[in-house]
Amino acid sequence: MIRVLVADDSRVMRQIVIRTLRQAGYDWEVREAADGAQALEAVRADEPDVVLSDWNMPEMNGIDLLRSLRAEGFSTPFGFVTSEGSDEMRALAEREGALFLIVKPFTAETFRDAIEPVLA
Amino acid sequence: MSQVIAGEDVYAIAQDIFASMVDGDVGTIVPWEGPPPGWQEPVTAWVDLQGDWAGRASLTTETSTAHALARALLGFGEDEPVERADLVDAFGEVVNVVGGNVKSLLETTGSLGLPQVADVDPGLPGGLVLSEMVLAWHGRALELVVRAVL
Repeated sequence: MIRVLVADDSRVMRQIVIRTLRQAGYDWEVREAADGAQALEAVRADEPDVVLSDWNMPEMNGIDLLRSLRAEGFSTPFGFVTSEGSDEMRALAEREGALFLIVKPFTAETFRDAIEPVLA
Repeated sequence: MSQVIAGEDVYAIAQDIFASMVDGDVGTIVPWEGPPPGWQEPVTAWVDLQGDWAGRASLTTETSTAHALARALLGFGEDEPVERADLVDAFGEVVNVVGGNVKSLLETTGSLGLPQVADVDPGLPGGLVLSEMVLAWHGRALELVVRAVL
């Protein structure tokens, strides 16, 4: 079973992301982190198969989380789930090694469209 | 993209959010008909856009409506109680998504702040209202305002 780490400072949004993963057909084992710093610790402690992260979070934001992971040698597949989807952010996410960027609000279909090509 | 926010774009964002995140169905949020609501126990959530384009997206409603919204977002039953922390989280997240989508409409390299929630709208000194609308969600009023700071 695929193990995913969902990082978002909103508990409500983490629940929505987890619910949407299930609706999209991904019955994955889920762990949660409330900010980038927690997520970094969680990956260091037990690397998941994929990280789904918000961008805008206190303590450590999503892009700094991604940079920290790569700097520490973790190549964990990483996707953003964020309320902003400007061209600039998409380019930055891609440059830093993110596999996709899902913009809120999203649907189960949005998740499948972003995740399926990565899993294939 | 532009530096101007059109009311129809903000309305489309609200429709998307409620269809995707809240109700799982389209058409659950429509323009409010009739006189503007007089708030009894309001709650306001807002998020600031900072940088070369500064402004704020805010959402105001009755506290009871914010509770209903939180229940819908959390998948709670109709009478299930909502803790204040969950209300703040859920209501703030709705306006956070509004703000993120508004920012995506703009030619800005600025950043989005973290959502804030309070019982009293703190106002925005120097703020110019770009879009202001009252929406009805299952018959409950929500006021959505986008301001720019000049």
